[in-house]
Amino acid sequence: MNCLQTKDNFSAYFEDSLDNQTIQQFDSHIAACASCQKEYHQFQISVKATKQLPEIEPSPNFVPLLWEQISDEKTRNGPFLQRLYDLFNIPKWAIGGILILVLAGAGTFIFHDDFFIGDKQSNDVIVYSDSISDEDQQNITTDQFSPRGFGGSYSIGTNSSQPMQQQYILKRVSYTSASLAGGL
Amino acid sequence: MPESDDELMQRYQKGDEEAFNCIVRRHHKPLVNFIARFTGDRDNAEDLAQDTFIRMFKAANRYKPGRAQFKTWMYFIARNLCKNEIRNRGRRERYRVDNVITKDHTSLGNEDQIDLIATAPADKSFQPEVAIERKELQETTKKAITELPEKYRFPLILRDIQGLSYEEISKILELPNGTTKSRINRARLMLKDKLKPFMELL
Repeated sequence: MNCLQTKDNFSAYFEDSLDNQTIQQFDSHIAACASCQKEYHQFQISVKATKQLPEIEPSPNFVPLLWEQISDEKTRNGPFLQRLYDLFNIPKWAIGGILILVLAGAGTFIFHDDFFIGDKQSNDVIVYSDSISDEDQQNITTDQFSPRGFGGSYSIGTNSSQPMQQQYILKRVSYTSASLAGGL
Repeated sequence: MPESDDELMQRYQKGDEEAFNCIVRRHHKPLVNFIARFTGDRDNAEDLAQDTFIRMFKAANRYKPGRAQFKTWMYFIARNLCKNEIRNRGRRERYRVDNVITKDHTSLGNEDQIDLIATAPADKSFQPEVAIERKELQETTKKAITELPEKYRFPLILRDIQGLSYEEISKILELPNGTTKSRINRARLMLKDKLKPFMELL
Protein backbone atom coordinates (compact mmCIF):
# COMPACT_ATOMS: atom_id res chain seq x y z
CA MET A 1 0.00 0.00 0.00
CA ASN A 2 1.43 3.40 -0.97
CA CYS A 3 0.79 6.81 0.62
CA LEU A 4 -2.03 7.72 -1.78
CA GLN A 5 -3.88 4.47 -1.17
CA THR A 6 -3.38 4.91 2.55
CA LYS A 7 -4.99 8.36 2.42
CA ASP A 8 -7.89 6.96 0.43
CA ASN A 9 -8.49 4.54 3.27
CA PHE A 10 -8.27 7.04 6.13
CA SER A 11 -12.05 7.26 6.61
CA ALA A 12 -12.66 3.54 6.25
CA TYR A 13 -9.89 2.79 8.75
CA PHE A 14 -11.19 5.45 11.14
CA GLU A 15 -14.69 3.95 10.92
CA ASP A 16 -13.35 0.42 11.19
CA SER A 17 -14.94 -0.71 7.97
CA LEU A 18 -11.89 -2.21 6.26
CA ASP A 19 -11.35 -5.91 5.79
CA ASN A 20 -8.59 -7.63 7.78
CA GLN A 21 -6.12 -7.80 4.95
CA THR A 22 -6.42 -4.08 4.15
CA ILE A 23 -6.14 -3.22 7.84
CA GLN A 24 -2.84 -5.12 8.00
CA GLN A 25 -1.54 -3.35 4.91
CA PHE A 26 -2.67 0.01 6.32
CA ASP A 27 -1.04 -0.66 9.69
CA SER A 28 2.24 -1.74 8.16
CA HIS A 29 2.36 1.34 5.94
CA ILE A 30 1.56 3.71 8.79
CA ALA A 31 4.21 2.08 10.95
CA ALA A 32 6.80 2.60 8.26
CA CYS A 33 5.79 6.03 6.95
CA ALA A 34 6.21 8.93 9.36
CA SER A 35 4.44 11.35 7.04
CA CYS A 36 1.28 9.23 6.81
CA GLN A 37 1.43 8.63 10.55
CA LYS A 38 1.34 12.37 11.17
CA GLU A 39 -1.32 12.91 8.54
CA TYR A 40 -3.54 10.27 10.05
CA HIS A 41 -3.09 11.71 13.52
CA GLN A 42 -4.22 15.14 12.26
CA PHE A 43 -7.04 13.50 10.33
CA GLN A 44 -8.33 11.93 13.54
CA ILE A 45 -8.20 15.25 15.39
CA SER A 46 -10.08 17.10 12.66
CA VAL A 47 -12.80 14.44 12.37
CA LYS A 48 -13.27 14.38 16.14
CA ALA A 49 -13.37 18.18 16.24
CA THR A 50 -16.15 18.15 13.63
CA LYS A 51 -18.11 15.49 15.46
CA GLN A 52 -17.80 17.39 18.72
CA LEU A 53 -19.00 20.74 17.45
CA PRO A 54 -21.59 22.03 19.90
CA GLU A 55 -25.21 21.78 18.85
CA ILE A 56 -26.93 25.00 17.95
CA GLU A 57 -29.99 25.58 20.06
CA PRO A 58 -32.92 26.97 18.04
CA SER A 59 -34.74 29.89 19.58
CA PRO A 60 -37.68 28.96 21.83
CA ASN A 61 -39.98 30.81 19.43
CA PHE A 62 -39.14 28.50 16.58
CA VAL A 63 -42.14 26.19 16.88
CA PRO A 64 -44.79 28.86 17.69
CA LEU A 65 -43.51 31.02 14.81
CA LEU A 66 -43.62 28.07 12.46
CA TRP A 67 -47.26 27.35 13.36
CA GLU A 68 -48.13 30.98 12.81
CA GLN A 69 -46.64 30.74 9.34
CA ILE A 70 -48.44 27.48 8.66
CA SER A 71 -51.80 28.94 9.66
CA ASP A 72 -51.09 31.94 7.39
CA GLU A 73 -50.36 29.55 4.56
CA LYS A 74 -53.57 27.65 5.19
CA THR A 75 -55.73 30.78 5.08
CA ARG A 76 -53.91 32.04 2.00
CA ASN A 77 -54.21 28.77 0.12
CA GLY A 78 -57.77 27.51 0.30
CA PRO A 79 -59.27 25.02 -2.13
CA PHE A 80 -58.16 25.49 -5.73
CA LEU A 81 -61.53 26.56 -7.18
CA GLN A 82 -62.06 29.01 -4.37
CA ARG A 83 -58.65 30.55 -5.06
CA LEU A 84 -59.42 30.72 -8.75
CA TYR A 85 -62.75 32.37 -8.02
CA ASP A 86 -61.10 34.85 -5.67
CA LEU A 87 -58.42 35.56 -8.22
CA PHE A 88 -60.79 36.58 -10.96
CA ASN A 89 -63.59 37.70 -8.67
CA ILE A 90 -66.15 37.23 -11.44
CA PRO A 91 -69.85 36.70 -10.58
CA LYS A 92 -71.14 33.18 -11.09
CA TRP A 93 -73.66 34.19 -13.77
CA ALA A 94 -70.81 35.65 -15.85
CA ILE A 95 -68.79 32.45 -15.58
CA GLY A 96 -71.92 30.50 -16.63
CA GLY A 97 -72.43 32.79 -19.63
CA ILE A 98 -68.84 32.39 -20.74
CA LEU A 99 -69.12 28.62 -20.44
CA ILE A 100 -72.30 28.56 -22.56
CA LEU A 101 -70.64 30.66 -25.25
CA VAL A 102 -67.58 28.41 -25.30
CA LEU A 103 -69.76 25.29 -25.56
CA ALA A 104 -71.87 26.82 -28.34
CA GLY A 105 -68.75 27.75 -30.29
CA ALA A 106 -67.28 24.29 -29.84
CA GLY A 107 -70.57 22.66 -30.95
CA THR A 108 -70.76 24.79 -34.06
CA PHE A 109 -67.22 23.93 -34.93
CA ILE A 110 -67.64 20.19 -34.39
CA PHE A 111 -70.92 19.84 -36.31
CA HIS A 112 -69.85 22.00 -39.19
CA ASP A 113 -70.10 20.12 -42.54
CA ASP A 114 -66.41 20.04 -43.26
CA PHE A 115 -65.39 18.84 -39.86
CA PHE A 116 -66.10 15.14 -40.53
CA ILE A 117 -65.73 15.29 -44.29
CA GLY A 118 -62.24 16.51 -43.81
CA ASP A 119 -59.98 18.82 -45.62
CA LYS A 120 -60.35 18.15 -49.28
CA GLN A 121 -57.08 19.71 -50.16
CA SER A 122 -55.11 17.17 -48.22
CA ASN A 123 -56.65 14.24 -50.08
CA ASP A 124 -56.47 15.79 -53.49
CA VAL A 125 -54.41 14.17 -56.11
CA ILE A 126 -53.20 16.64 -58.57
CA VAL A 127 -53.23 15.15 -61.97
CA TYR A 128 -51.60 16.77 -64.89
CA SER A 129 -51.25 15.66 -68.38
CA ASP A 130 -50.41 17.35 -71.55
CA SER A 131 -49.97 14.32 -73.69
CA ILE A 132 -52.10 11.54 -72.34
CA SER A 133 -53.85 9.46 -74.87
CA ASP A 134 -57.53 8.64 -75.05
CA GLU A 135 -56.69 5.03 -74.50
CA ASP A 136 -55.02 5.85 -71.21
CA GLN A 137 -57.96 7.94 -70.16
CA GLN A 138 -60.13 4.97 -70.85
CA ASN A 139 -57.84 2.81 -68.75
CA ILE A 140 -58.14 5.18 -65.85
CA THR A 141 -61.90 5.36 -65.88
CA THR A 142 -62.56 1.70 -66.50
CA ASP A 143 -59.69 -0.39 -65.13
CA GLN A 144 -58.56 1.49 -62.11
CA PHE A 145 -61.45 2.71 -60.11
CA SER A 146 -63.97 -0.05 -59.99
CA PRO A 147 -61.99 -2.59 -57.93
CA ARG A 148 -59.93 -0.10 -55.99
CA GLY A 149 -60.83 0.76 -52.51
CA PHE A 150 -60.28 3.86 -50.56
CA GLY A 151 -57.17 5.91 -51.06
CA GLY A 152 -55.09 3.36 -52.90
CA SER A 153 -52.64 4.42 -55.51
CA TYR A 154 -53.29 3.83 -59.08
CA SER A 155 -51.27 3.69 -62.17
CA ILE A 156 -51.94 4.44 -65.69
CA GLY A 157 -52.75 1.41 -67.81
CA THR A 158 -49.81 -0.56 -68.95
CA ASN A 159 -50.94 -0.77 -72.53
CA SER A 160 -49.67 2.69 -73.26
CA SER A 161 -46.78 2.98 -75.62
CA GLN A 162 -45.59 6.18 -74.02
CA PRO A 163 -42.94 6.14 -71.26
CA MET A 164 -44.39 6.21 -67.72
CA GLN A 165 -42.64 9.45 -66.79
CA GLN A 166 -44.70 11.38 -69.25
CA GLN A 167 -48.03 9.92 -68.26
CA TYR A 168 -48.87 12.29 -65.57
CA ILE A 169 -52.15 12.34 -63.81
CA LEU A 170 -55.06 13.57 -65.70
CA LYS A 171 -57.16 15.81 -63.60
CA ARG A 172 -57.87 17.13 -60.17
CA VAL A 173 -59.82 14.57 -58.23
CA SER A 174 -60.82 14.13 -54.67
CA TYR A 175 -60.82 10.73 -53.07
CA THR A 176 -63.35 11.91 -50.58
CA SER A 177 -65.82 13.16 -53.13
CA ALA A 178 -65.09 10.17 -55.30
CA SER A 179 -65.78 7.73 -52.52
CA LEU A 180 -68.98 9.52 -51.54
CA ALA A 181 -70.08 9.53 -55.14
CA GLY A 182 -69.40 5.82 -55.50
CA GLY A 183 -66.07 6.03 -57.24
CA LEU A 184 -64.48 8.23 -59.79
CA MET B 1 -42.10 3.55 22.67
CA PRO B 2 -42.21 6.73 20.61
CA GLU B 3 -44.03 6.68 17.32
CA SER B 4 -41.93 6.54 14.18
CA ASP B 5 -41.87 9.43 11.74
CA ASP B 6 -43.88 7.41 9.25
CA GLU B 7 -46.57 6.67 11.81
CA LEU B 8 -46.77 10.33 12.71
CA MET B 9 -47.04 11.29 9.05
CA GLN B 10 -49.84 8.77 8.56
CA ARG B 11 -51.66 10.28 11.53
CA TYR B 12 -51.18 13.74 10.07
CA GLN B 13 -52.47 12.58 6.69
CA LYS B 14 -55.63 11.45 8.47
CA GLY B 15 -56.08 14.98 9.79
CA ASP B 16 -54.23 14.98 13.11
CA GLU B 17 -52.20 18.20 13.12
CA GLU B 18 -50.65 17.40 16.47
CA ALA B 19 -48.76 14.58 14.74
CA PHE B 20 -47.03 17.12 12.51
CA ASN B 21 -46.25 19.20 15.56
CA CYS B 22 -44.52 16.15 17.09
CA ILE B 23 -42.45 15.79 13.93
CA VAL B 24 -41.44 19.44 14.07
CA ARG B 25 -40.43 19.18 17.72
CA ARG B 26 -38.44 16.04 17.02
CA HIS B 27 -36.51 17.32 14.02
CA HIS B 28 -36.24 21.08 14.25
CA LYS B 29 -33.00 21.10 16.23
CA PRO B 30 -30.96 18.83 13.93
CA LEU B 31 -32.42 20.63 10.94
CA VAL B 32 -31.42 24.08 12.21
CA ASN B 33 -27.95 22.68 13.00
CA PHE B 34 -27.57 21.22 9.54
CA ILE B 35 -28.59 24.45 7.82
CA ALA B 36 -26.52 26.64 10.11
CA ARG B 37 -23.41 24.54 9.60
CA PHE B 38 -23.96 24.51 5.88
CA THR B 39 -24.76 28.16 5.30
CA GLY B 40 -22.62 29.50 8.15
CA ASP B 41 -25.50 31.78 9.06
CA ARG B 42 -27.24 30.92 12.30
CA ASP B 43 -30.03 33.51 12.08
CA ASN B 44 -31.00 32.63 8.58
CA ALA B 45 -30.84 28.94 9.44
CA GLU B 46 -34.04 29.18 11.46
CA ASP B 47 -35.87 30.87 8.58
CA LEU B 48 -34.71 28.18 6.18
CA ALA B 49 -35.66 25.43 8.61
CA GLN B 50 -39.14 26.96 8.89
CA ASP B 51 -39.39 27.09 5.10
CA THR B 52 -38.42 23.42 5.00
CA PHE B 53 -41.19 22.48 7.43
CA ILE B 54 -43.73 24.59 5.54
CA ARG B 55 -42.85 22.82 2.31
CA MET B 56 -43.19 19.50 4.05
CA PHE B 57 -46.52 20.55 5.50
CA LYS B 58 -47.81 21.47 2.05
CA ALA B 59 -46.55 18.27 0.45
CA ALA B 60 -47.39 16.00 3.38
CA ASN B 61 -50.39 14.44 1.68
CA ARG B 62 -48.17 13.28 -1.16
CA TYR B 63 -45.69 11.64 1.24
CA LYS B 64 -45.74 7.86 0.93
CA PRO B 65 -44.58 6.18 4.15
CA GLY B 66 -42.11 3.41 3.49
CA ARG B 67 -41.16 4.60 0.05
CA ALA B 68 -38.60 7.08 1.35
CA GLN B 69 -37.33 7.70 4.82
CA PHE B 70 -38.74 10.78 6.43
CA LYS B 71 -35.29 12.10 7.38
CA THR B 72 -34.04 11.65 3.83
CA TRP B 73 -37.01 13.62 2.52
CA MET B 74 -36.48 16.40 5.07
CA TYR B 75 -32.77 16.82 4.36
CA PHE B 76 -33.43 16.64 0.64
CA ILE B 77 -35.77 19.63 0.85
CA ALA B 78 -33.43 21.48 3.20
CA ARG B 79 -30.48 20.86 0.91
CA ASN B 80 -32.35 22.34 -2.06
CA LEU B 81 -33.36 25.38 -0.03
CA CYS B 82 -29.77 25.86 1.16
CA LYS B 83 -28.49 25.69 -2.40
CA ASN B 84 -31.06 28.24 -3.53
CA GLU B 85 -30.21 30.47 -0.61
CA ILE B 86 -26.52 30.40 -1.39
CA ARG B 87 -27.20 31.08 -5.06
CA ASN B 88 -29.46 34.01 -4.23
CA ARG B 89 -26.99 35.30 -1.72
CA GLY B 90 -24.27 35.32 -4.35
CA ARG B 91 -26.62 37.08 -6.74
CA ARG B 92 -27.50 39.73 -4.24
CA GLU B 93 -23.85 40.06 -3.24
CA ARG B 94 -24.87 40.40 0.32
CA TYR B 95 -22.88 37.66 1.85
CA ARG B 96 -23.81 37.45 5.47
CA VAL B 97 -21.35 35.50 7.50
CA ASP B 98 -22.22 33.93 10.78
CA ASN B 99 -21.33 36.38 13.48
CA VAL B 100 -20.04 33.53 15.59
CA ILE B 101 -17.73 32.36 12.86
CA THR B 102 -16.47 35.81 11.93
CA LYS B 103 -15.62 36.58 15.52
CA ASP B 104 -12.01 37.26 16.17
CA HIS B 105 -10.66 33.84 17.02
CA THR B 106 -8.12 35.16 19.48
CA SER B 107 -10.76 36.67 21.71
CA LEU B 108 -13.79 35.12 23.29
CA GLY B 109 -17.28 36.50 23.46
CA ASN B 110 -19.09 37.32 26.69
CA GLU B 111 -20.85 33.98 26.71
CA ASP B 112 -17.54 32.12 26.49
CA GLN B 113 -16.02 34.19 29.28
CA ILE B 114 -18.98 33.44 31.49
CA ASP B 115 -18.55 29.73 30.75
CA LEU B 116 -14.90 29.81 31.72
CA ILE B 117 -15.51 31.77 34.91
CA ALA B 118 -18.38 29.52 35.86
CA THR B 119 -16.40 26.32 35.46
CA ALA B 120 -13.15 27.60 36.95
CA PRO B 121 -13.81 27.36 40.68
CA ALA B 122 -15.71 24.07 40.55
CA ASP B 123 -13.26 22.10 38.46
CA LYS B 124 -9.83 21.82 40.03
CA SER B 125 -8.34 20.37 36.89
CA PHE B 126 -9.65 23.31 34.93
CA GLN B 127 -7.00 24.66 32.59
CA PRO B 128 -7.96 27.92 30.87
CA GLU B 129 -5.40 27.36 28.11
CA VAL B 130 -6.91 24.00 27.20
CA ALA B 131 -10.44 25.44 27.20
CA ILE B 132 -9.36 28.32 25.00
CA GLU B 133 -7.53 25.99 22.65
CA ARG B 134 -10.59 23.77 22.40
CA LYS B 135 -12.79 26.76 21.73
CA GLU B 136 -10.40 28.01 19.08
CA LEU B 137 -10.30 24.58 17.44
CA GLN B 138 -14.11 24.60 17.32
CA GLU B 139 -14.24 28.03 15.76
CA THR B 140 -11.55 27.17 13.24
CA THR B 141 -13.35 23.95 12.37
CA LYS B 142 -16.68 25.76 11.86
CA LYS B 143 -15.01 28.28 9.59
CA ALA B 144 -13.13 25.58 7.68
CA ILE B 145 -16.36 23.66 7.07
CA THR B 146 -18.08 26.68 5.55
CA GLU B 147 -15.07 27.12 3.26
CA LEU B 148 -15.32 23.61 1.81
CA PRO B 149 -16.78 23.31 -1.68
CA GLU B 150 -20.51 22.59 -1.63
CA LYS B 151 -20.24 19.06 -2.99
CA TYR B 152 -17.94 18.07 -0.13
CA ARG B 153 -19.60 20.17 2.56
CA PHE B 154 -23.02 18.51 2.26
CA PRO B 155 -21.87 14.93 2.80
CA LEU B 156 -19.39 15.90 5.52
CA ILE B 157 -22.04 17.70 7.57
CA LEU B 158 -24.59 14.94 7.06
CA ARG B 159 -22.09 12.32 8.15
CA ASP B 160 -20.01 13.91 10.92
CA ILE B 161 -22.47 16.40 12.40
CA GLN B 162 -25.86 14.87 11.68
CA GLY B 163 -24.62 11.30 12.03
CA LEU B 164 -26.47 9.89 9.04
CA SER B 165 -25.50 6.61 7.40
CA TYR B 166 -23.80 6.46 4.02
CA GLU B 167 -26.97 5.00 2.49
CA GLU B 168 -29.10 7.85 3.79
CA ILE B 169 -26.60 10.43 2.56
CA SER B 170 -26.48 8.77 -0.85
CA LYS B 171 -30.26 9.03 -1.13
CA ILE B 172 -30.33 12.68 -0.06
CA LEU B 173 -27.54 13.67 -2.43
CA GLU B 174 -28.73 11.30 -5.17
CA LEU B 175 -25.28 9.80 -5.48
CA PRO B 176 -23.97 6.24 -5.65
CA ASN B 177 -22.77 4.89 -2.33
CA GLY B 178 -19.14 4.69 -3.46
CA THR B 179 -19.14 8.33 -4.57
CA THR B 180 -20.58 9.40 -1.22
CA LYS B 181 -17.86 7.53 0.65
CA SER B 182 -15.07 8.97 -1.44
CA ARG B 183 -16.50 12.49 -1.15
CA ILE B 184 -16.67 12.20 2.61
CA ASN B 185 -13.09 10.97 2.77
CA ARG B 186 -11.99 13.77 0.46
CA ALA B 187 -13.91 16.33 2.54
CA ARG B 188 -12.25 15.13 5.73
CA LEU B 189 -8.81 15.33 4.12
CA MET B 190 -9.54 18.87 2.92
CA LEU B 191 -10.73 19.84 6.37
CA LYS B 192 -7.59 18.36 7.92
CA ASP B 193 -5.46 20.41 5.52
CA LYS B 194 -7.35 23.56 6.47
CA LEU B 195 -6.87 22.86 10.16
CA LYS B 196 -3.23 21.89 9.76
CA PRO B 197 -1.77 25.32 10.60
CA PHE B 198 -3.82 25.36 13.78
CA MET B 199 -2.94 21.76 14.70
CA GLU B 200 0.76 22.40 14.24
CA LEU B 201 0.51 24.81 17.14
CA LEU B 202 -1.08 22.27 19.46
